[in-house]
Amino acid sequence: MRKLLMPFLAAIFIFTASMTTSAQSPEQDPTIDDNLVKIRLLAERTDVSGGDEIWIGIEKSIAPHWHTYWKNPGDSGTITKANWKLPEGATVSDIHWPTPKKLPYGPLMNYGYENNVFLLQRLKLPKTLPEGALTLTADIELLVCKEECIPEYGTYTLTLNGTQSETEDNSAYFEAAIAKLPVTVSWPSTFEQTNTHFKLGVTLPETIASDIKPETLVFYPHEWGLIENAAMQSALLNETQLTFSQKIGERDATDLKNAEFLVTYTNKQGRPNSYKINATPKPIAMIQENVATPLPLTTSDNSNITIATALLYAFLGGIILNLMPCVFPVLSIKALSLVKIADKSRSIARMHGIAYTAGVVLSFIAIAAILLILKSAGAQIGWGFQLQNPIVVGALAYLLFIIGLNLMGFFEFNNRLGNVGNKLTQGESLNSSFFTGILATLVATPCVAPFMAAAIGFALTQPALINLSVFAALGFGLAAPYLLLSFIPAFQRIMPKPGAWMNTFKELLSFPIFIFAIWLLSVIAILSGSAGVLQILIGMSAITFGIWLWKKSAGRSIGNTILKIIAILTFAIATFMLVTQQKQITASENNTLDTQSFGEVFTPEKLSQILDEEDEPVFVEMTAQWCITCKVNHKIAINIDSTKKVFQENNVRYLIGDWTSEDPDITKYLNNYGRNGVPIYVYYGQKNTETGQRPEAQILPQILTPKTITNLFN
Amino acid sequence: MRQFLLTSLAVFAIAITAIVSLSTASKAAAPEIGKAAPDFTATDINGDTFKLSDHKGKIVVLEWSNHECPFVVKHYGSGNMQKVQKETTEKGVEWVTIVSSADGRQGNTTAEEAAKIIEEQGAHPSVKILDASGEIGKMYDAKTTPHMFVINTDGTLAYAGAIDNNPSPNPATIEGAENYVTAAVDELIEGKDVTTSQTQPYGCSVKYAY
Repeated sequence: MRKLLMPFLAAIFIFTASMTTSAQSPEQDPTIDDNLVKIRLLAERTDVSGGDEIWIGIEKSIAPHWHTYWKNPGDSGTITKANWKLPEGATVSDIHWPTPKKLPYGPLMNYGYENNVFLLQRLKLPKTLPEGALTLTADIELLVCKEECIPEYGTYTLTLNGTQSETEDNSAYFEAAIAKLPVTVSWPSTFEQTNTHFKLGVTLPETIASDIKPETLVFYPHEWGLIENAAMQSALLNETQLTFSQKIGERDATDLKNAEFLVTYTNKQGRPNSYKINATPKPIAMIQENVATPLPLTTSDNSNITIATALLYAFLGGIILNLMPCVFPVLSIKALSLVKIADKSRSIARMHGIAYTAGVVLSFIAIAAILLILKSAGAQIGWGFQLQNPIVVGALAYLLFIIGLNLMGFFEFNNRLGNVGNKLTQGESLNSSFFTGILATLVATPCVAPFMAAAIGFALTQPALINLSVFAALGFGLAAPYLLLSFIPAFQRIMPKPGAWMNTFKELLSFPIFIFAIWLLSVIAILSGSAGVLQILIGMSAITFGIWLWKKSAGRSIGNTILKIIAILTFAIATFMLVTQQKQITASENNTLDTQSFGEVFTPEKLSQILDEEDEPVFVEMTAQWCITCKVNHKIAINIDSTKKVFQENNVRYLIGDWTSEDPDITKYLNNYGRNGVPIYVYYGQKNTETGQRPEAQILPQILTPKTITNLFN
Repeated sequence: MRQFLLTSLAVFAIAITAIVSLSTASKAAAPEIGKAAPDFTATDINGDTFKLSDHKGKIVVLEWSNHECPFVVKHYGSGNMQKVQKETTEKGVEWVTIVSSADGRQGNTTAEEAAKIIEEQGAHPSVKILDASGEIGKMYDAKTTPHMFVINTDGTLAYAGAIDNNPSPNPATIEGAENYVTAAVDELIEGKDVTTSQTQPYGCSVKYAY
């Protein structure tokens, strides 16, 4: 506490001292020697004549680790003010602000300057100047901050046309500073506010666009409150069309007629560039045109993907999905049902194959369409979003639990509820095959198979039609093995002969189903906490009780009717338990696997801070509780001794992002690499000690081996 | 019938996915002017419970503070904040001072110290709350000290932003500055709409935990 008090007391002292002295004398006051910001006033040249227009500047040398602010200071802070006392008839322009730097601070973000900064102004002198030296004074008021903030005040002087010894020519120094100022350009640009995001669209000249390193693009708004300053920014560059997107700020921009922004980037030669643009609100009609987002131009592995390869990858990915632990039990039951059908008629078997395929493909298209609609509404979500919602996950857990009970033989649907379980095994109606298709899709979503991520990432950046075709191909891949089985009798002959063993096998398969339901409960635990798990367990008990009551209520009597009503009530309780789950809002810190012992929690601010300011290599892992591929990779390739050792030896900063619950920052990060689902593993190499640049980020394959990681360091 | 049930079950499964994801996608971040101000319950420095929604019928002012921040010092050192507090609370306003400085960070105090600071400042808040977890601060997206919020008698947010129109730490600039909070409170009492309902807050950053 005392430590914090000191700068505060110092501030009061400096403040009172400067107030009194500045009032008394126009000379440099003595206390400013102690200021954290040392200020000099400079002129481009001190030798001037009437009617001249010259550059003058306030040169600030800021104490190490302290900063002052840009025109838009960001979430806190305030700008530097200069109040000039000029000779009669002279005028001075507003400050030409140099390009600022992002200064993250906990959950907040500031824009400002560290070390040295030069604030330039244009001075216009009157036609006639008085004889002798001209003295210009400036009362400068500024705020300098590190942990805490200190206001500093001072009065400074600048002498023009002084004695010979005072004559200075600073033109080279000024030229260098002017060259670094943002260049004002008139590139056509528009901004818009969606429900969640602020978007800035800029049409760049071709020569500029082709020279940009896309991953270095950053924009800064001159206006306050348009964006949530600390949120992650995304930049998409498609030919000459540049689109920035960031979570909206607190300000309603509907009345804003125009707004200025800085667009900054590093060019291919590694030189920083900064342009000032003036954007107008996007007309409504134009917003419609832009539903299909342009292809993200990042150094990701899908930039060369064509439609044909995307379709092929999606198809292969779909086939692999069949082997995933979530899909396999459901499918093996379905496959068994074929045995029975095939005995009866080949054509019926084919019909079932088609119905099942239709179910899978249509539900993939349906989910893709929902995803598209949500994305065009501005939601930051990606594939697997269904499982970021506790109600959907809970409903899936119920469904699997009921199927498990049925397979176990706890009940048969002999009445009007419909014979779900038996239909799955016996496949009496084509509808049941269609339904199994939908079920397979729902349970397959957690397992984003290796080939799928690139294909889905590609699909979501394409026009709707291509997008839906890729998803349809994925569904077709998932359905393909069963479809083949139903069409080619040779395969059916491999299947064992039906018999009493099938019933035993059916009962046996209920166990993987139950285990899958338990796994879904572990996802619930993260989405809605232990209270949510309890609610779902109560719901499952209620379902069991309800089914039991229903079984007991066979026959028509008043007593049985009452039993049935109670049974329905217990089902209602189960539904109530499902929908009243409270989504946990807590930060993802506690959710992430093993972060306590190994790794740090990912935030975009932390990543950019490490990348900019520190030299160590960085390894980023994006994972989710419901993503099996992620968990397997983590277990076999990351959370092992050899990887830990190699990370330690190379001082790797290991950041883990948890996407179990919806997290727009992580979605944006995934988008930057052309992805729409987890996992993703990105390695940023160590900074080159000479150039201060990092090598290009490497995206690792979706299936990791310990060797993939150790190879990074060889 | 069975087929119908199966089909409807399937449709239901897809529909629930859609509805639920739509509802989660449209959740708003910061509190909005004209919308209900987020409710919160907290224990004040005297150990009493304060629940925002219990004060419907009164105008409530929320003031984010940190007694060591130069901007806060500007308004308390000059007696400006105390004057605004006195004027508004005399008109029946509930004035809530909130300190969201995390443990070990600038402005973080114990309840006893907080009471002493009120005494030293000669401040007149109705309630003072220590929000070291930053929960209330983040609920309101409070960014600076001071950061002011005015809540109307019906519980809707009527003003959010700076205390006045002079974003300077210099006390000499208080005179002649337009105080947005006094203006908003007066307009609400007269039953008018608040002319300036949102401004850029200025000051030190709120010292949340890293």
